Amino acid sequence: MKLNQLILVSFAGLQFIFPALAADDTVTNSAGTVPAEIPTTTAVSNAPASSAEAAEIEALKKEVQELSQKVNTLEQQRELNQQTNAAASQEQIEALDQKVRILGRQRELDQETAAAAAKNQPRISAGANGFSFGSADSNFVVALHGVLQVDTRTFQKNDNVPGNDSILLRRARPILSGTVYRDFDFLFVPDFGNGTPGASSTATTPSIYDAYVNYRYSPAFQIQAGKFKAPVGLEQLQQDVNISFNERSLVTDLVPNRDMGFELHGDIAGGVLSYAAGIFNGVGDARNSSNIGFQDNREFDGRLFVQPFKQSDLKPLQNLGLGVGGSWGQASITNTLGLPNTTGGSQPGYFTDGQQQFFAYTNGVVAANTHWRLSPQSYYYYGPLSLMGEYAISDQDVRNGTHSASLHNTAWEINGGWVLTGEDATFTGVTPKHPFDPHNGQWGALQVVGRYADLDIDNAAFPFFANPAVSASEAHAWSAGLNWYLNRNIRVNASYSHTSFTGGAGGSPSTVPGSVSSHSEDVFFTRVQLGF
Amino acid sequence: MKTFLKLLVPLACSLVVAANAREVKLLNVSYDPTRELYQDYNTAFAKYWKAKSGDDVVVSQSHGGSGKQALSVINGLEADVVTLALAYDIDAIAQQARFLPADWQKRLPDHSTPYTSTIVFLVRKGNPKNIKDWDDVVKPGVIVVTPNPKTSGGARWAYLAAWAYALDQYGHDDAKARDFVKRLYKNVPVLDSGARGSTTTFVERGIGDVLLAWENEAHLALKEFGVDKFEIVTPSESILAEPPVAVVDKVAKKHGTADVAKAYLEYLYSDEGQDIAGRNFYRPRSEKAAAKYADQFAGLKLVTVDEVFGGWQKAQKTHFADGGTFDQIYQP
Repeated sequence: MKLNQLILVSFAGLQFIFPALAADDTVTNSAGTVPAEIPTTTAVSNAPASSAEAAEIEALKKEVQELSQKVNTLEQQRELNQQTNAAASQEQIEALDQKVRILGRQRELDQETAAAAAKNQPRISAGANGFSFGSADSNFVVALHGVLQVDTRTFQKNDNVPGNDSILLRRARPILSGTVYRDFDFLFVPDFGNGTPGASSTATTPSIYDAYVNYRYSPAFQIQAGKFKAPVGLEQLQQDVNISFNERSLVTDLVPNRDMGFELHGDIAGGVLSYAAGIFNGVGDARNSSNIGFQDNREFDGRLFVQPFKQSDLKPLQNLGLGVGGSWGQASITNTLGLPNTTGGSQPGYFTDGQQQFFAYTNGVVAANTHWRLSPQSYYYYGPLSLMGEYAISDQDVRNGTHSASLHNTAWEINGGWVLTGEDATFTGVTPKHPFDPHNGQWGALQVVGRYADLDIDNAAFPFFANPAVSASEAHAWSAGLNWYLNRNIRVNASYSHTSFTGGAGGSPSTVPGSVSSHSEDVFFTRVQLGF
Repeated sequence: MKTFLKLLVPLACSLVVAANAREVKLLNVSYDPTRELYQDYNTAFAKYWKAKSGDDVVVSQSHGGSGKQALSVINGLEADVVTLALAYDIDAIAQQARFLPADWQKRLPDHSTPYTSTIVFLVRKGNPKNIKDWDDVVKPGVIVVTPNPKTSGGARWAYLAAWAYALDQYGHDDAKARDFVKRLYKNVPVLDSGARGSTTTFVERGIGDVLLAWENEAHLALKEFGVDKFEIVTPSESILAEPPVAVVDKVAKKHGTADVAKAYLEYLYSDEGQDIAGRNFYRPRSEKAAAKYADQFAGLKLVTVDEVFGGWQKAQKTHFADGGTFDQIYQP
């Protein structure tokens, strides 16, 4: 436009110089954009033009025509340039558009590839439930868990049992569990603690508590082989980190602990019915099996447990469980391992909450023939309330020289708790709503617990199988405690336990079980526990 | 009374038949662009099988890049039948998982390929880049869309089609063919994992100037999105793609579906099966169906993998295995 204006201004100047030109002939240029009226006389003289002037005018005409043509050419060129530029711009826009689309798609594909790769990456997990490392499809998993319990026991009135107060490492167990080929689970639990009085000679010897392989065809059909808890007692089957007190009750004295064997088990209908049945080496009451046991007889253990409302909408009854466990086996005539554990003493016998023996078989007694147990059991959990009740019969055939008897020992317990801070109590523990964090005014969960338990030894045990002058025939124990769950993994608890006896020793004997049964046992427990 | 019996007997018979009828479930693990074919075919087969046996057949379909699908079956996807893009992928299932015998291709006619196809070009309406043959596809500035040969059967067919064309053009000089295919993949900015993904990239996302497409997929795009938006360009030469089918014996036996699975594949060779293949733009094997649908397929020179590349095992090892020619020439 500027060029066009310049030409027009120039042309206007010429008209001013040669005003007479306006009246003369007209030439139109091809583009028709510039007027081309060429004057033939000058405006100054208004006289007939001389031949020189005419020539000059012709020259000027020619010059104007040339200028006009140049203007046309320039305008055409400009239009052409504009068109070319527009086409180039369009191409550029399209190319950029393609690039943007391609980059967008590449980003999507990269994300898809990354997502697919992530699915195939091994998974590492660390949290309140332990540490695990597994394949992307979870077919192979290894998990590390652990239990550490640091206890104190402070006995009252224990003048005749000196040195039984203790700070002890009750359990120190790294737990290795996992899965291979999707359906095969394993568990391996050694214990480096085991600070049980009476086992002091082996207290520092690590031993294997659980070691088994489990094939899981479905939740309802699983088969397990190795060393694990025999399916009889309810409290015994509760995990060590979740029991209400430092020690299990007197009723657990009458059921087997870990045993070597094979077990078929499963949960039917989402856990409404749980069953377990197995064949084991067979162990005495409260005993752990050794890793090998050469004997000709076997023991059959089994348990049925029903939670009839577990899958119902009746919330108050969802955690009501009722069941029965039992065992039946025959022991070799020379088998002392078929008798109860030696915890708290040197002879097989039964022990208190304080892990002191109040009843012991006399030397020479062996398990003979049949040993059967029956244990009806139940629990109920609703909100902060927890209740557990269990009864156990341990019917043991024993022999001592020419004397033999079938001893019908029984025990029962009831224990309950209430979570003061309102969290739900469960068979698998309490999870604080506000884990301990004093900086933010959070203190975890508090639970009060109470328990009463009784163990009654068959009177037929005396005097041929146990000495009534040192062994009590019955123990009655009540306990009360406070459990402080700092978080899912840390628990601190304190409890007091009082056990009185029927029968037992008089005076002040200095050796168990007389030293224990001669007066009631009062013991104050504390525990700091790590479980993950 | 007789009328009553006449009514009663058929009713009783039908009740007996109904009581004995069972529902059979099959899983057909297939490659990407066969969705429409097998939707159509499954309905026809279910009707056929119901009439023949009284049983109801419900066929589920799984689609994806052919190589990827084969890997899924090897890793446990319980396919009763596989209908994949190329024989190598079923060979992999036979060799790595041993779910079917190595000679599975002998169990059905035509090497167990009831229909064939080929690779053509799908371009935008008006063919703005003037693409006529493979030479135009490798020109600088042409944006080509094709899936990843590592995961897609269609992509492997396309790759080999381009290679075969180059061999013909350059006097069977492998180096020149390699350079030709390298130039082709230089024009490929994105690699989807399957043919359907590439079709979506080209058709719906508007990326690229030309899609190297299964012939049936190109026709489907025209049918779906309109002839006013795309055109099919048939190159002078391409490859005869033979997508095979097979019963996965071990899975079918486990599911108790071996008989139905076998019948399912055999029925692909029936008049109805061939007709369904034809109307879904696959080239039928039967002369009757081929004649019926001849008009929809352009004529071109078709070469086979066996002729040019010495079979799929060799082609796979040379070109698509890790470190093979494709890995050497493709620079993402």
